[in-house]
Amino acid sequence: MFSWIARLSRHPRLLLVLVFVLAAGAVALCVDPRTLKPRFHVDPSAEALLPAQNADRAVLAKVRQTFGEDDPVIVAVHFEPSVFTTENLEKIARLTQMLRQLPGVRGVFSLATAPNLMASGDDVSITSFTEQARTDPGQVAQFPEQLAANPLYRGTLVSPDGHSAAFALSFGDNDPAHYAAFKLSEKIRAAAAEVAPGCEVRITGTLPVRAATAAALSHTLAFTVPAVFALVALLLLVTYRSFRAMVAALLTVGLALTFTVATAVLLHIEFNLVTAIVPPLVITIGLSYTIHLLSAYFLSRQMIPLAGSQERAEWVMNRIVTGLSLSGATTVVGFLSLLLNPLPAIRSFALLASIGTAYVGLLTLVFMPPLLNALGSSREAPPIGERIFAAWGVRLANFDTRWRRQIIAIALVLIPVDLYFASHIRTGTEFIQSFGVNSPVRQDFEAINRTFNGANLVSIYVDTHVNDALTDPVQMRPLEQLEDWLHQQPEVGAVVSYIDHLKLLNKALNQNDPAYFAIPDSAAAVKQLLVFGGGDAIQHVVDPRFRSAVITVRINVDGSIAIGDFLKRLDEQLDALPPPLQAQATGTTVIATRAVAAIASGHLASIAIATVAIWALLSVMFTSMRAGLIATLPNIVPVSVYFGTLGLLHISLNPTTSLIACIVLGIAVNDTVHFLARFNADAREQGGEAGAIRSALSAVLRPITLATAALCLGFLVFTGSELRNQVQFGALAAWTLFCAWVADMTLTPALGSRLRIVTLWDMLRLDLGRSPQHTIPLLSGLSLRQARLFALMSRLEQVPSGVRIIQEGDLARDVFVVIDGTVEVVIDRNSERKVLSTLGRGAVMGEAGYFGQRRTASVDALSTVRLLRFDSQDLERLRVRYPSIAATIYRNLNRIQAERIARMTALVQ
Amino acid sequence: MRCYVMWGLMLLALPAWADPAGDKAAVEKVLQCMRANVPPTLRIQEIELQATDRAGANRTMRGKLFAMRDKGLLRAMVHIAEPTDLAGAAYLVRETASDDHADEMYMFLPAMNRVRRITGASADGSFLGTDFSYNDVKQIENAFGDNDGKLEKPEQIEQHPVYVITFKPKADQSSRYSLLRAWVDQKTCVALKVDFFEGDVPRKELSAPVSAIQQSGNYWYLSQALMQDLKDHTSTRLKVVGVSSGTDLATRYFDPHSFYLGN
Repeated sequence: MFSWIARLSRHPRLLLVLVFVLAAGAVALCVDPRTLKPRFHVDPSAEALLPAQNADRAVLAKVRQTFGEDDPVIVAVHFEPSVFTTENLEKIARLTQMLRQLPGVRGVFSLATAPNLMASGDDVSITSFTEQARTDPGQVAQFPEQLAANPLYRGTLVSPDGHSAAFALSFGDNDPAHYAAFKLSEKIRAAAAEVAPGCEVRITGTLPVRAATAAALSHTLAFTVPAVFALVALLLLVTYRSFRAMVAALLTVGLALTFTVATAVLLHIEFNLVTAIVPPLVITIGLSYTIHLLSAYFLSRQMIPLAGSQERAEWVMNRIVTGLSLSGATTVVGFLSLLLNPLPAIRSFALLASIGTAYVGLLTLVFMPPLLNALGSSREAPPIGERIFAAWGVRLANFDTRWRRQIIAIALVLIPVDLYFASHIRTGTEFIQSFGVNSPVRQDFEAINRTFNGANLVSIYVDTHVNDALTDPVQMRPLEQLEDWLHQQPEVGAVVSYIDHLKLLNKALNQNDPAYFAIPDSAAAVKQLLVFGGGDAIQHVVDPRFRSAVITVRINVDGSIAIGDFLKRLDEQLDALPPPLQAQATGTTVIATRAVAAIASGHLASIAIATVAIWALLSVMFTSMRAGLIATLPNIVPVSVYFGTLGLLHISLNPTTSLIACIVLGIAVNDTVHFLARFNADAREQGGEAGAIRSALSAVLRPITLATAALCLGFLVFTGSELRNQVQFGALAAWTLFCAWVADMTLTPALGSRLRIVTLWDMLRLDLGRSPQHTIPLLSGLSLRQARLFALMSRLEQVPSGVRIIQEGDLARDVFVVIDGTVEVVIDRNSERKVLSTLGRGAVMGEAGYFGQRRTASVDALSTVRLLRFDSQDLERLRVRYPSIAATIYRNLNRIQAERIARMTALVQ
Repeated sequence: MRCYVMWGLMLLALPAWADPAGDKAAVEKVLQCMRANVPPTLRIQEIELQATDRAGANRTMRGKLFAMRDKGLLRAMVHIAEPTDLAGAAYLVRETASDDHADEMYMFLPAMNRVRRITGASADGSFLGTDFSYNDVKQIENAFGDNDGKLEKPEQIEQHPVYVITFKPKADQSSRYSLLRAWVDQKTCVALKVDFFEGDVPRKELSAPVSAIQQSGNYWYLSQALMQDLKDHTSTRLKVVGVSSGTDLATRYFDPHSFYLGN
């Protein structure tokens, strides 16, 4: 891949043109060029979170197919002095008529349309309340009592206090986009204001809530994306003081975002409560990547000031390719672990976020360096805060080294403590309370919920699979008992079933005798009443073949935890129904509650998989499981702190908060990688870990801190959302990333201070010549990978021609192996230089020093020589980490020494 | 307990008109032709309603229908014969001589064993859970009695020339529909298709094949028709067998005290 990237970098103009052409295509995918309307969709429904083949969704679909839509829009209008005046009832009739005329409204259920069954002798009147009030105003006084006695209307058409009248609007098309486009809430309020000026109007229901959610999601996207961009611009401008660099970074991230959205369109991924996080997330991640690249780019100005564009671009790429690739890989692994989640919305998020991360990583690596060159970015002034960060880096390194044990101990204590708090986390989310306290949609919901003792609907679908079974009084009794049980539940405000219709009909057709407010004794009577008396209303509660029915329950609680508790008790009751009665709770509220509950099932597995995958990835990269573990551990701490925070603050695990752990795990490990990579390089260069910690920390503290600050600011932008879930997501992600930064600046150096690591990239880049294990005797018996590992645990040095490598008589314990080039072994005797031998590839020198002797001869480079240099400490480290390699090296070293002694003995003899 | 759709259904067998000139006189002439198909009495030996719900399941009801005009006022009675648990149930609808020709409805349920007079039933309600409602038919009846119908360009149904006529219900008819469009067979003056519009969208569609046009004496009628609810995706197929018109019918069929005894 790296050679491919290198090849690409050799054609910067072609590359830029190619990216811009692709970007034009992506824009055309995102926005219809003819209508200029976006092609991507915002889906606020909770069903969108569930799999298409989900059983709950199938039940809901069946209920809707059999009984029609289940989610009316509820309008509550407050009347003074009470609903029960002829004037106000007339207003209700007029308003009902006006509401019927609104676009998409199929029916209005209100005092003006609900039949009030009145029996007088053999006459049964089924006119509406408002009609009765019009024809006989004297009846109005009896309405409160009649409504209270009617199970279908009690607390439903009129609030218990008699001040609010309800209008249930059914829509043929339950599309929140249409609801919003037609501005139906405004039209409803306008109609109410025309009929009853000054009256308080409340509107709730799935449609207005979904429309408000869609609007809030759109606002969130419209707000977060530019806000994060603005932050990116500001941060880059302040830190790098280069307008062109800022433009290059914004363009890179903007293109990555465009490609991501285009991919969403291509893959038919809609932006819902979860996937709406992806665009700002991609920008935020992109920001951190561009910061690392810009750091390298401006460093190149110092390191290779005279280099041309091409050379600079390659230098920058080489500088960051390891860290950026590893960062991208771990981030993607973190996201992809969410593919285990059963919710398709979270899986879509995982896929889209991974693709977006890949885009932004790739563009940062291959597109941004030539773009910077093309834009001619330059900055001569030193980066802001560089010295301060460098100084603090040294102090921090000293602190970490001094308090190494304590830091590790605190981290190890934090994990179980946080897990303890985490054990109190509950899975759940707020539905309406996801909106702000001052949000009209929330205020309306809560007002109606309070006034009518419930605003959420739960449907109980009863199926017998037997025609006419539900007309059998024997089968109806358990359902009647179920209704009685429901009435006793504190969450339940109202219950309506076909049995209530039946009882009312039975009573009305029996001269209003209260004794007949009961299930008739025969199935024939039940069927006759329902078929001949039920009318349209009955079609919404029992199917025409009387084999299935729906019981509508209005509940006064919101939030998946409270609803989940109720559903748990309800499910127990439903499971206890005798055959052939089979019942299931369903409805939008139930679907949403179960969708949230499903999060927990895949969440822990996702985190475990992400952790193991990242550890495995780091182990491969560092070619050591121990090094991988040390790189992973500092990232487990912030994740455990995150869960501890959730438990401590009683924040539930919901569709958005469930993403944080895997996201942070994937992102935060980047800092660890950057530190360890730098530490590794410095340790090699300096030949010791203590100094390397100081230099590495002072070098990476600034970019890591800036990147973390950028990420935190990016996530904190979500706190400006209207939706509480998004606010929680932003705040918690920022907090966890901050914790990860603290861990990386303390725990990682503490853990890594005794570690010298070798990255896979080091290995791949290391050139030991052809078949080193066959051409270099010291490496005999090793595999190519083992030979490279040994070389990387040692030091690879390049010595110019004419330079003395070993000085005769010195006390030194280094051993040298010639990789390529030619050296000359000489001794000085009486000012006379005597050449003993000329050595080439594979020669081992200085092994006598290794065994404690002074150097017996000098060695000079006859050409530019590449040498492998190691000492007893290196071999000891090798023995601890790679004992099998160390054993082979020791054996070879002994063999070489033995052969040399044998040769010398032969010479003497 | 609300609708007396059957009589109205038979009104669908109404004729059309002769000269599609487009002027009022022509429209009136056509409407007269249609009205001429209304018999003074009607007896249907067997009427079958097969309702298909959203899930595709069928439910069938059979019965008899008697209808007549008494001094210009409609009398219609339906007597259910099947299914057995509904057998014996009966409906009687009587148009009153009041100014607004309000309807009286009587219902007899064997399980109650009493006749109940029902007032104030919603005309939009479905008839026995089918896709027919009294108001659907009433709208057609109103429409065909309306001289404000507009003729459109003639079309063909199954290669039979038909007139296309549209009606807008008047405000005082409190119709849920904004427009009705009927396709009327030119030869028999029978409506082969009627679309019921809610706003700009057809909500229901009544249709019949040309082969369903039958003759009883001097009157043409449809032996079968299909009413579809285009939004709810339900439908009801109507079949009639043994239609006789213009014969004397016993008054007991239309007497609130004895209608349910008829068979």
